[in-house]
Amino acid sequence: MRVPLSWLREYVDFDLSPEALAERLTLLGMEVRGIERIGADWSSVVVGELLDVAPHPNADRLSLTRVNVGAGKPELSIVCGARNIEIGQRVPVALPGAVLPGGRRIDVTKKAGIDSEGMLCSGAELGLTTDADGILILDPATEIGQHLSDLLGEVVLDVDVKPNRGDALSIVGLAREVAAALDTQAREPMVTVDESGDATDAHVSVEVRDPLRCPRFVARYMDGITIRPSPVSVQVRLMAAGMRPISNVVDASNYVMLELGKPTHAFDAARVTDGHLIVRAAEPAERLETLDHAQRDLTPETLLIADSTGPLAIAGVMGGAASEVTGATTAVIIESAIFDPVMIRRTGQHYALRSEASLRFEKGQESRLARLGADRTAQLILEWAGGRAAKGAIDTDPADPPALRLVFRPERIVRLLGVEVAAGEMRALLNRVGIETAPATAADVVVIAIGARPIPLDAAGAHTALVAIVPGHRRDLAIEADIAEEVARIRGYETLPGRRPDTLMPTYRPDPHAATDRIRDLLSGRGLSEVVTFSLIAPGDHARLGDGRDDPATIRATNPVTVEHSELRRSLIPELSRVLVDNERQRRDDVAIFETGITHRWTDGQPVERHQLGILLAGLASPPTWDAPSRPVDVADAKGLIEWLVGRVAVGRVRYEPATVRAGVEHPGRTAVVAVEQASGTPVELGRVGELDPRYLAAVGARAERAIYAVIDLDGLARLAPTGRRITVLERLPGVDRDIAVVIDRSRPAGEVEDLIHAAGGAHLRSVSLFDRYQGPQIGEHEVSLTYRLRFEPGERPLEEKEIDTTISAITQALSDRLGARLRA
Amino acid sequence: MDLEAFSSQLTALRDRALTALEDAVDPDALEEVASAYLGRKGELTALLSGIGALPAADRPRVGALANPIRQQLDAAVATRRERLNSIALEVRLAQERIDVTMPGRALTRGSLHPIPETYREIVRVLGRFGFVTFDSPEVETDELNFQLLNIPADHPARDLWDTIYVEPPASDAATATSLEAPTVEAPRWLLRTHTSPGQIRAMREMRPPIRLLTPGRCYRHEAVDASHGFEFFQVEGLMVDEGTTMAHLRGLLDEFAHALFGAERPTRFRPGYYPFTEPSVAFDIQCVVCDGSGCSACGRSGWMTILGAGMVHPVVMRNGGLDPERYQGFAFGMGIDRIAMLRHGIPDLRAFLADDLRFLERS
Ligand SMILES: [Zn+2]
Repeated sequence: MRVPLSWLREYVDFDLSPEALAERLTLLGMEVRGIERIGADWSSVVVGELLDVAPHPNADRLSLTRVNVGAGKPELSIVCGARNIEIGQRVPVALPGAVLPGGRRIDVTKKAGIDSEGMLCSGAELGLTTDADGILILDPATEIGQHLSDLLGEVVLDVDVKPNRGDALSIVGLAREVAAALDTQAREPMVTVDESGDATDAHVSVEVRDPLRCPRFVARYMDGITIRPSPVSVQVRLMAAGMRPISNVVDASNYVMLELGKPTHAFDAARVTDGHLIVRAAEPAERLETLDHAQRDLTPETLLIADSTGPLAIAGVMGGAASEVTGATTAVIIESAIFDPVMIRRTGQHYALRSEASLRFEKGQESRLARLGADRTAQLILEWAGGRAAKGAIDTDPADPPALRLVFRPERIVRLLGVEVAAGEMRALLNRVGIETAPATAADVVVIAIGARPIPLDAAGAHTALVAIVPGHRRDLAIEADIAEEVARIRGYETLPGRRPDTLMPTYRPDPHAATDRIRDLLSGRGLSEVVTFSLIAPGDHARLGDGRDDPATIRATNPVTVEHSELRRSLIPELSRVLVDNERQRRDDVAIFETGITHRWTDGQPVERHQLGILLAGLASPPTWDAPSRPVDVADAKGLIEWLVGRVAVGRVRYEPATVRAGVEHPGRTAVVAVEQASGTPVELGRVGELDPRYLAAVGARAERAIYAVIDLDGLARLAPTGRRITVLERLPGVDRDIAVVIDRSRPAGEVEDLIHAAGGAHLRSVSLFDRYQGPQIGEHEVSLTYRLRFEPGERPLEEKEIDTTISAITQALSDRLGARLRA
Repeated sequence: MDLEAFSSQLTALRDRALTALEDAVDPDALEEVASAYLGRKGELTALLSGIGALPAADRPRVGALANPIRQQLDAAVATRRERLNSIALEVRLAQERIDVTMPGRALTRGSLHPIPETYREIVRVLGRFGFVTFDSPEVETDELNFQLLNIPADHPARDLWDTIYVEPPASDAATATSLEAPTVEAPRWLLRTHTSPGQIRAMREMRPPIRLLTPGRCYRHEAVDASHGFEFFQVEGLMVDEGTTMAHLRGLLDEFAHALFGAERPTRFRPGYYPFTEPSVAFDIQCVVCDGSGCSACGRSGWMTILGAGMVHPVVMRNGGLDPERYQGFAFGMGIDRIAMLRHGIPDLRAFLADDLRFLERS
């Protein structure tokens, strides 16, 4: 809400700088987001008097004027192109050297051969009105030579009014808040309508067929009016408040909306058949051309203002073009009604029409404003457009509803706020926002939540409890806690002392992120960079992974911001690839990244989240150094990371199995399923590791020919993590290393060799590490030699050579029996 | 040969040996000399083996003559060996000199992303006050994201959250189009617009005292600019028991702000509005850019809002299954990205999800 301070001052007195006022309002909950100074960018613009207006000798379209800019100042000769100027008028004059909004500099310039010593300004040139064609004509009584900024300069506060405070979407409402902040009184406009002629009901009748959605409808009738622009001061004020001036009647309606927060509407009375307004639901197939000249197909949920021939307006949202006030209008019907807020909101959303009026209606309106708004609008139209206001008003429900009695317990408010505030102080504070208080009675009940059973007051409670008499405009106050907020904010939060939590501590809960944080630390310590990527990805990203547009497991946004981010990721791969591509564009080809993120899918009609670890490696395995070349990353790098990570956070041995690949995504010969085998039970599948298919890399636009990836299920990994790892204390007995070179047919997977060594290795086998792999002339053409170092660790007594020999024989036997392997000397 | 002659031969041998040892300039030469005089086939052995030529009465005295000399020579060899070894080592060390100003062999740097790290920092601070992480899902229902938080359908406050909705799962869609009316209304799924549904889930899952933090990704239908994104990160705090007051909220948030932004940084409460808290406040810290003098970062006010908070609304408390007359507490919500931006001076939110490694490796 834009608040011109000159307007605010009409309804409350304050002696504060705009900054100080802004701070007071902010601390009261009416956050001031900005302060604008209109006229601050006018320099050397003064009020001048047109002494002469003559045709320009060299140009038909121009006039040559002589301008008096104040006693003692030389008269100026100014060339002007506008048509609306006459001798004797007072106008804004930009003197030579003046600077106008937008940095436009005015100097003495030749115009059609004659020096123009400055410029006469239009309202648009000064940012005051929208009129760019005519010079801004000021009031004839304006003092000549005065700086225009002193006359029309304005300070405007931009106040962020919260959705629960529709009453403060008005100058009068904010004046009440200023008054509360300064502990003074606010005023309301003096509303009197100088009525004459017939009674209103001689011209207008109103039939509300849906009183639930339109509980009150006030109408007034005016005739003999002359449509013309509003007075300059009104136009300037509306502009400052962010509203375009249109004509005196429309401006009057808008003025009242900004001033009182009450939207009203003026119909051209000549376009309302028999002056009979009907408030009713739209009928099937009805249409209306609204003020914005759009043809609207009306739905039956839409509430209309109609006459006997058809729709005139969408109630509370927008008027119709046919009954719009035009330059030819001489009589108007003013509508000032109360509508169901929810209905207005739905209607506005349905037609995508959210106007300043509907915004106020949907927050709910104080009933009293229906009559006040109609009267105030009539008063302003009389002032600005002349004519006559018919006697009285049609009012379908003239009785204002009684004020809400809201019971509150001062001690409950103290308990909530944690600061001692005496009941008497609370009453005084509430009084500053117009809330009267009275002692409660034993029959009163406390409403602690809408929808909850109210709490009766006991004898003691009735003695201390109070009743807040809530004024009609405070529709946001409904429960006891609302009164606590009023007390707190009017008292000022600077009076609320801080206190460290000293209540009962909750029972212990483990940190669910602990395992993930550990993994993040470990991987970043290993030289990987953590990334956080988009969760919403493009349908194309899923399609490339083979999950098509019709895949029922994909969670899709109905109204995405962009289709590029419209589906919740089912895999971390697309975004990790995107990060690779983006960094390649920054000439960064060596990428080692990981993300711990959530993937989503529908499972049995429920959204299911999985926490995953994604790793992507591309480029060189390590930075090249001055004494050693680097090498490209390969699958073994990722496997090494996984084995190391599992070893650090869990218990078990990592195994790989050839995977059934996603065609075009994963390298058909270089993709494995990762599983962890624990001492007991079947191996737990944890994810996949491999190389991305070069066609996938090409499709995502990567320059890299190879990229290595791994995806690990973090929840699964966390389940393998022991709560307290068993740490064996070894006696001071040496371990024993034995190396064996196993020769097998090259078609046999090495994983089987390792499995067999583990299976036959006995209780003392601690680790098996492959440290040489040989193919060549020393062995058969189709053979491969794998050399493992086996580490045996003793138990309580030393290991004897004989024991180890026996174990090695058993291993050899198993390898020979199962894989046809032999040992190489 | 008599004993005297033997003795003089012995002395001569010793003198020659000592000279030869002095002349040995490297360990190999030394060992050669040692072996030539003292070895099994050396001169001393040869001389001693000649004692048969001595008169029998003199033979027992040979030892007394020869042993000191052998000992003297052994000692001389050892001394010389040590000397030569030490010289050799010094020569080697002198040759092994490297340019100590050379850089080390580079390791890849590795880095942690500022968003999860900032959350970890938040937990580190608030964890000291008993707050623990409680995760809540990203795909939510309208009921949990709005209705149970006291934001009914068609409430004007819904304008505060531009929501991204989600197509119903295939099974629901099938039900919706079938002729039979579904027995229960299918939930309206959406992407959570805030972490606040965690409040309801937490209260339904556990009894007070409750002190929890619900972090995570949130979504809004917003145009992307330097301070807005359709994906962003929030953390929700919730503390409920029988005596938690607004003063506690203030005290906790002060501790929090001082831990993250410096112990001297002024803070303030001002009234705010959230449908799920009553009273509601905004929590400001003095501008971290201008320290309160007013700049463009703080809209010339000298203050920056870092979170919204308030006392849990009685309706929300009820929806969480707790009696609002007995229990009370506070909730707060803040943008993890915003805290990270303020702490690290990051001017543009978009940097977080862009994942430029040059940016990440500075973190
Ligand atoms: Zn600042």
